[in-house]
Amino acid sequence: MPGKKHLHIESSGQLCIYCGACVGVCPLNCVYLDETRITFDEKICTRCEICVKACPVGAIEIG
Amino acid sequence: MVENLTTDVLVVGAGPAGSMTAKWAAKSGARVLMIEKRQEIGSPVRCGEGMSKDWLKEVGIAPSNRWINVEVEGARIFSPSEKVLEINEKHAGNEVGYVVERDAFDKQLAIDAGNAGVDLLLKTAATGVIRENGKIVGVKAKRFGEPFEIRAPVTIGADGFESQFGRWAGIPTNLALRDMDSCLQYRMTNVDCDVRYCDFYLGKVAPGGYVWIFPKDVGVANVGIGVQLSQIHGMAEAKTYLDRWIAKHPGYAKGKTIDVVGGGVSISPPLKQTVADGVMLVGDAARMIDPLTGGGIANGCIAGKICGEVAAAAVRDKTPTKEFFQAYEKAWRARLEEKLYRNWLAKEKLCTLSDETFDKVVDALEGVKLQKLSVHNILKAVHEKYPDVTREFESFL
Repeated sequence: MPGKKHLHIESSGQLCIYCGACVGVCPLNCVYLDETRITFDEKICTRCEICVKACPVGAIEIG
Repeated sequence: MVENLTTDVLVVGAGPAGSMTAKWAAKSGARVLMIEKRQEIGSPVRCGEGMSKDWLKEVGIAPSNRWINVEVEGARIFSPSEKVLEINEKHAGNEVGYVVERDAFDKQLAIDAGNAGVDLLLKTAATGVIRENGKIVGVKAKRFGEPFEIRAPVTIGADGFESQFGRWAGIPTNLALRDMDSCLQYRMTNVDCDVRYCDFYLGKVAPGGYVWIFPKDVGVANVGIGVQLSQIHGMAEAKTYLDRWIAKHPGYAKGKTIDVVGGGVSISPPLKQTVADGVMLVGDAARMIDPLTGGGIANGCIAGKICGEVAAAAVRDKTPTKEFFQAYEKAWRARLEEKLYRNWLAKEKLCTLSDETFDKVVDALEGVKLQKLSVHNILKAVHEKYPDVTREFESFL
């Protein structure tokens, strides 16, 4: 989407520990954890970056 | 093709609150189905694994060496300059009692539920609610990836901190930044922990939270941290603060990490509403975690028992309505709400304290034998030595 930042989640397993902190903190319910895969609904996400802060290991980047 | 199912009471999530709800609904005569999205109950663990023990009898859990690692004698609170306040077990808050093997504990509760007649489906995730005439009458779900429906007059959301169910049901469960913690924990071996104590380190080592050491065995401990989201700014702050703390403590810096656990914890005041037509929320999904300690197992289980009994009564009376579920709403609040609210206020205050003040508080309490550990008693003891420190806390006295 033009003008909107892109979400990038480090999902190769190098950083993400699939703890679900990002899922619980999302005010819009647009982060999903499915065993070892985390996905964002980019259409809903407003880039508030709360999940970025909540991630204990820094696996989420918005850039 | 997976067949659609019907039941009396559907429980979404097989953690402690879910299993407890399911067990007591079944024991009270309802047909109960519990679904769990994971393939294994209790795993992966997302918990510091410390819990008190005085509530176990109330909800019908028999202590067992299958899930108890260590029975601690007490807690030690370390101020920023590492003055130590030692608290006798009986006088301590929620986090002292047992250090447990959470996966084994969760499995035991699921076994208890199964033995009470609860049906259980693993690898089964709720994906949305089914609404008819504005009321929720079950969930859409996927089992091993295949979509199907489960219909039930009563559906219980016990889907934990990540709860989606409450939001689908239209119950506001969103949290303010200051009411959430980001947590990380290493299970470490070859560390100098003391199996007699659960240790808590307060102050700027963990902004808005604390560092915990919960001993699992001689030389083995859960070393973890919670930091409050309104007090952190960058990425991976929980890990940064925890690694920094470990590096400064030689007894832990030499340790080897055998497990990494992360997660979010709510440290909020109680929700205004936990029921709707056909729906009740319980445990972490209902934000029942103690905002001061971050402990959620006891409250989830205590509310779960009440929730299960009310669910079965609603099925019996054919009244799965919001009005009927006030019986649950009122009973869990009567049992838990005052303490949740009081501890939330205490948490809000503690978060504002400087390291210097923390040092004074712990210094004032050192050597004082408290009759009972409460915010009131702590403030009284501190007031005698440092009246200036307690001035802004006068509303608590």
